[in-house]
This record gives sequence, structure tokens and C-alpha cells, in this order.
Amino acid sequence: MEQPSDSTPDPPARRGFFAKALALGLAAAAYAVPVLSGLAAALNPLRQKGQAGKFYKLALLDTLPEDGTPQKVAVIDQRVNAWTRSIEPIGAVYLMRTRDASEPVRAIQVICPHAGCSVQFKETVEEEGGEKVGEFYCPCHRARFDLEGVRLDATSPSPRDLDTLAIDPDKLPEVWVEFQNFQTGIAAKVPQA
Amino acid sequence: MNTPSKRKTAGAWLDDRTGLLTAMRTCSEGSVRGGVGWRHVWPAAILFGFAVQAITGFFLWMFYSPSTQTAWESVYYLQYEVAGGWLLRGIHHYNAQVLVALTGLYFLWIVCTGAYRRPREFVFWTAVLMGLCALGGCLTGDLLPWDQNSYHATKTRVDFLNLLPLVGGTLHKLAAGGPEFGHHSLSRFFALHVGMVGGGFVLLLILYHWFAHRAEATQRPDVPAGPYWPDQMLRNMAAAAALMAVVLLLVFQHAFAGDHAGEAPGAYLGAGLGAPGDLDPANAYNAARPEWSFRGLYGFSNLFPGEMKIVPIFIVPGIVMAFVFAMPFIALRKWGHPVNVIVVGILLLGLVVLSYASWKHDWDDPGYLEDVAQGELEAGRARLLIEIGGVPPNGAATLLTTDRLFRRQCAACHDHAAEGHDMSVRAEETTAPNLYRFASREQVAGFLDPKRVTTADYFGNTAFRTGDMADFVKESLADLDEEELEEVEWIVMALSAEARLPSQREADKNDAKQIKEGRELIDGYGCTGCHKFHDKGSLGMGPDLTGYGSEEWLAGVISDPNRTRFYGKRNDRMPAYHESMTPQQILWMAEWLRRAWPLPADEPAAGQ
Repeated sequence: MEQPSDSTPDPPARRGFFAKALALGLAAAAYAVPVLSGLAAALNPLRQKGQAGKFYKLALLDTLPEDGTPQKVAVIDQRVNAWTRSIEPIGAVYLMRTRDASEPVRAIQVICPHAGCSVQFKETVEEEGGEKVGEFYCPCHRARFDLEGVRLDATSPSPRDLDTLAIDPDKLPEVWVEFQNFQTGIAAKVPQA
Repeated sequence: MNTPSKRKTAGAWLDDRTGLLTAMRTCSEGSVRGGVGWRHVWPAAILFGFAVQAITGFFLWMFYSPSTQTAWESVYYLQYEVAGGWLLRGIHHYNAQVLVALTGLYFLWIVCTGAYRRPREFVFWTAVLMGLCALGGCLTGDLLPWDQNSYHATKTRVDFLNLLPLVGGTLHKLAAGGPEFGHHSLSRFFALHVGMVGGGFVLLLILYHWFAHRAEATQRPDVPAGPYWPDQMLRNMAAAAALMAVVLLLVFQHAFAGDHAGEAPGAYLGAGLGAPGDLDPANAYNAARPEWSFRGLYGFSNLFPGEMKIVPIFIVPGIVMAFVFAMPFIALRKWGHPVNVIVVGILLLGLVVLSYASWKHDWDDPGYLEDVAQGELEAGRARLLIEIGGVPPNGAATLLTTDRLFRRQCAACHDHAAEGHDMSVRAEETTAPNLYRFASREQVAGFLDPKRVTTADYFGNTAFRTGDMADFVKESLADLDEEELEEVEWIVMALSAEARLPSQREADKNDAKQIKEGRELIDGYGCTGCHKFHDKGSLGMGPDLTGYGSEEWLAGVISDPNRTRFYGKRNDRMPAYHESMTPQQILWMAEWLRRAWPLPADEPAAGQ
């Protein structure tokens, strides 16, 4: 093969390195455009915030049964589902009177911290000192909780006790509850955000 | 004329440009390295299994619409309305299960025959990845029909991501497509199902054949290659036909038991479809379970208390997978192969025992069976509701929510029932009028019928049993002559026309003349003495008849029957539902009442 006499070719090794680097660089740059634009869109959910804790007026203290029987109250607000917005129940809360004068009412999330089913109130027959005895019970995997939301079994399927919700003491006798959903399946009570 | 020489030239040209003919000739003569045999059928069967998924998946894609308001609805349409849709869906669903079983059996076969050992490490790993891909297809595909089970089971699985330290929350958000489940969960899972699982399977099949071809060549250079065509092909296609037969048996399994005369094929053939999934946590489905292939893992995870779930969900399966991928290296040791076989055997036995124990636990649990029965009832209810009026634009879940609200709240007092209809809802104790076909001509006619006005379907069990209206009807509308009877009929038509029921549109239009007469007669017969009707009469005595039974009128009564426009202080038992229902739900309830509920069985269907 004849070499063109008027050019000084690069040493093969160096030319090979530049060519390879350039080829890979161009490939990376060209392919990065569609890949990164796709990834940027796919990661969009990370920018979305969940429903932050917000106070809702759910009941009047007087309307709750005095014997402490829990009442299930729906929390109604705007549900944002991507492009759909609707006013509908976004969750529910158990409200119950207590005998504690400083905290006359307790609010507990109905969502079981295990797999996210709704716990049910189950009344037990016996009464102790006029106070109704009962428990919360999850129909999905049989987790049981007392009326303060504490797990009743040592090997409960639920990783934590039921989530209690804050009540604004200044607003009583109006019961204003700070409603919030929490991550399910984990031991820590982490807001779904 | 097509001479042989011409054809030969054309063939030569094609082969020269593409090499296809030479490649085919090589195939048919001797491309099966290591010789023709049934052991080569495994990858061909898996390829067939995947091809069936790709083909049926492509056609399902033409019907599927991923969003929480359309996913279940589009699958419902496919299952019940599209001719043969149940077959297409059934093949895709059951072939997926067969593909999982097939890759699992292939794995066991590789382990038992020792075919995972060198130089076949990569063949083995690719085969394992194909099995995981098949499972991934089930995990992502399970959500897509968006019925109660698929939504709640998948939600539980996605929630497991929260167990992972540091990255859990981020992964959860990415999988769900946002902070909570919604439209984007479906579109994401759909993209993963088709793109990642489908695309991944194609890649793995190519890699598998590449690695296997190479391994056969290095492993048995002495054994002559065998012809693919037709010897190996015949065996492969025999396996494919057998697989398809199994899939079809599964699709048609319910045809062999029970009597299905008159039932739509979608109701009992192919993959089942439960009630639509509902984002409202109050409507959670309590009996959600994973598919059979994950039963063992499900049973295993239930052995652990809530705080330890990361062990059965991530740590143990992670260790098992690490072991599986290390098997070719373990086998390099002297006792490696027997150890591998024994460990795999124990794992398999464990899975079988855990699966069985979990199923047994469910079968013996009356609470679970009750929840399953409840789910089936709601699925049937959803179907009945859709059959009589289609899916509303906001989706089937709202329809079912409304139906549930009626059954739980309104049906404490009101019947919604017609003789001989499986749509009927009966109150535990009927203390209010039957609302079936409310404001329709048949229903309004009963109010003006002296024989019917004090029956249980009207005022029979209410405070109005002895009220002015019942008295008026019994005194003034008894013993009417033929002409008067016709006039009452016109009044009924006019009153019912106020509702503008969609199901009565034609009749209202055809009877415009009688309706016009009837509107005059409402005043003439003295109705406006107590009721307001447009510009006649006044409020305060009886409910407003203007727009009686219209969406607006119904929503008003449901919101607050105590308003002067409706029953005022005479209302003795109906709650004002604006306290417990959202305005949206009240509108849905009005719509629900106004649906085209079928005529009572003994009455001839008018105009049909």
C-alpha cells in the first residue's frame, strides 16, 4: 500500500486512542439525549408531595358517645390523582372519648400500618367500670390493637402500633384532627410525603 | 413463463443479497450442535411461551387503557363485550402462569442434570434470569386489570419497598408514580410490563441462544451436529402444541363443571375479573392475595412479625438468589453438585409446604371466605349495573361506591326491588317507599292508585299511610270512569316527564300531547292545592312537583329532605345526607336512581 507522501500520519496507537475516545464520546453524547430526557420525566414523581398533615374539623365533642365507643369519621378533601381532582373521602379516623380531662378525645388512623387495610372496631361484651371494652381488628392479616392503638399480640403482623393523630386542644369542643397518611409496612411512623 | 432457470436466478440473487437461503440450508442440514434431541426442546418451549405472550399482549394493547378510571373498564369491555375477548385475555393470563411453571421446571431440570456446570455458566444464568423475567411479568401484569385483588395485592407489594433503608421511600414513589397510587401507577406498570419485561425477555432469549450454541460447540466437539429441519423442529413444535393445549385447558377449566346455560362466556371462561379497584381506603378489599407463584413467599413472610418483614421479603430471597447464581462455582468443589441439588430440593420442598399451609389457612378461615364472597357479590353487582346503563364517565368504581352506599344506608329503610329481578335490594325492615325506577311512569302511577298507595312499596309503612295524600287518592281517585282513568294516566305521564329520565326519552317525546294535557290536569285535579307545580300552587304542604325526580330534585331531597321544598317538618325519619355524603356522592346517588333499571319481569318491556 502506498502512503500519501504529503501527510504525516499519526502514530497508529495515538490515532487509535483518539478515534476510540471520540467514537465513545459521540455515542455517549448522542444516546444521552433521549435517555436523559426520558429519565428526567420518569423521575418526576419524586418532585410530587403527598398530602401534608392538615387540620380537619371532624366532629363536635358532644356528638361522640360518652362511653368511649369509637366512631369512624370520613375525612373529605380534594384527592389529586395525576390530572384528576375530586372531592371525596381521602381517609378516615376513629374518634373516641377518653376519661382523661386534659385529652378528652383521641383520634386514630383507620389504616393498618401493616398492609394498609382498614381496621375495624370490634366490641367485646364485658364492661369494666362502665367503660366499654373493645379492640381494633384488621380483617386482612388479623392484627389486633387496643383502643389506644397498641398492638395486642407479641408477634403482630403490624410493624407498629396504630397511628394516633394530633387534636387541636384550643378548638375543643370542636374536634379538629391533624389528618395524615403514614407509610405502611415499616416500624417507623413516617408521613407519606 | 416461469422457467426453472429464472427461478434459480431469482433465488441466487436473493441469496447473494441476503444470505437467507444459505442460512436456511445450514439450519436444515446440521445446526443443532450436540445432536437432535428432546433436551433442546426446553428453550424452544420457553421461546414459544414468550411468543404467545408477545402476540396476545400486542392485541390486548389495542384494548387496554391504563388509568384508574379506564383500566378496569377497558378490561371489562374486553372480557364481556368484545367477541372472543375473554379467550385472548384468558390465553395471556394462563400462558403467563404456564411460562412461570415452565421456566421453573427448566431450572430444576438444569440443576438435576448438572447442566449448569462449566462451561454452561452463562446459559444457566440466562435461564434463571428468564425465569425471573417471567415472574416480573406476573408482578407487573397483575396490577393492570385494576380489580380489587390486583390493586390491593400490588399496593401491598409496592409498600414492601418502604422496608429498604435509605432508598425505600424514593423507590416507592417511583414505582407508584407519585406519593400515592393512581393513574400513573398503572401507566408505569404497563410500561414496565411491556417494555422492561417484554424487551428484557427478547434480549435474554437472544443471549441464551448465543451462549447455548457456544457451549454445545466447546462441550461436545466430537458429537456431530444434527439437522434442525425437520427433526428438531418437529420435537419443538410438539412441545409448543402440548403447551397450548394446557393453556386452553386452563382457559376452559370452568366449562367442564356446572351449568352455564345462558351465561356470557366472559363470566366463567378465561381469567376472572373482580369488582373494580377503588382508591378510597374505606372500600379496601380485605382478601387480597398474590398469584400462586408467590404463595410460598407470602406464607413465608406471614411467619414473621411486622417489624421483621425485611427478612422474608428481601434478605432471604436475596440470599437464595445469590446462592443460585453461585451454584456453578460451588459445583467446582468435589461435593458441590450434590450439595446444590440437595439445597435446591429443600428450597423447593419448603416453597411447596409454605404454599400449601397458606392456602389451607385461608380455606379454614371463615372471615377470609366471607371477604372473598363479598368481593364476588360486588363483582356481580358491578356487572349488573353496567349491563343496564354502561359505565359512567368517571369510572365503574364510583358506580359501585354509590351502589354500596345505597345498600348500606338507603336500604336500611328503602327497598329497591322489582319482582323477579336479581338487581333487587331489599331493606331489612321496609319503612319507606320502594325506589325502584323512581319517577318512572309505572312508579308514579302507584302513588295515584287507591289500591297501591298504602302498600309497602309506597306509603304503607310510613307516617304518610294515614296522611292527606293517601286519603286524597283513596277518596277522590277511587271509582273513576274510563275517561277519568285516561286523564289520571296523562297526569302520570306529565309528572313522570318532569324527571326527564334517560330511559323514558322516547316515550316522553312520543306522548308530548298527552303530557301537555296532563300538566293542565294536575291543576284541574286539585294536586296544586298541596303541591307546587311550576307557577301553580305553593310550597309548604307537600313536596314540590316541579322537576319531580330530576337529578336536581333528587339531589336536593337526598341532601336535605327537611327543606320546605320537600318534606319540611313532616319528615320523620329520613336523614339529611349532606352531613355524611359529599355533594359528588349525592349527585352519583341521584344518577344511580335514575339509571335504566329493567322493568319488573311481569310487565311487557315498552318499546323494546
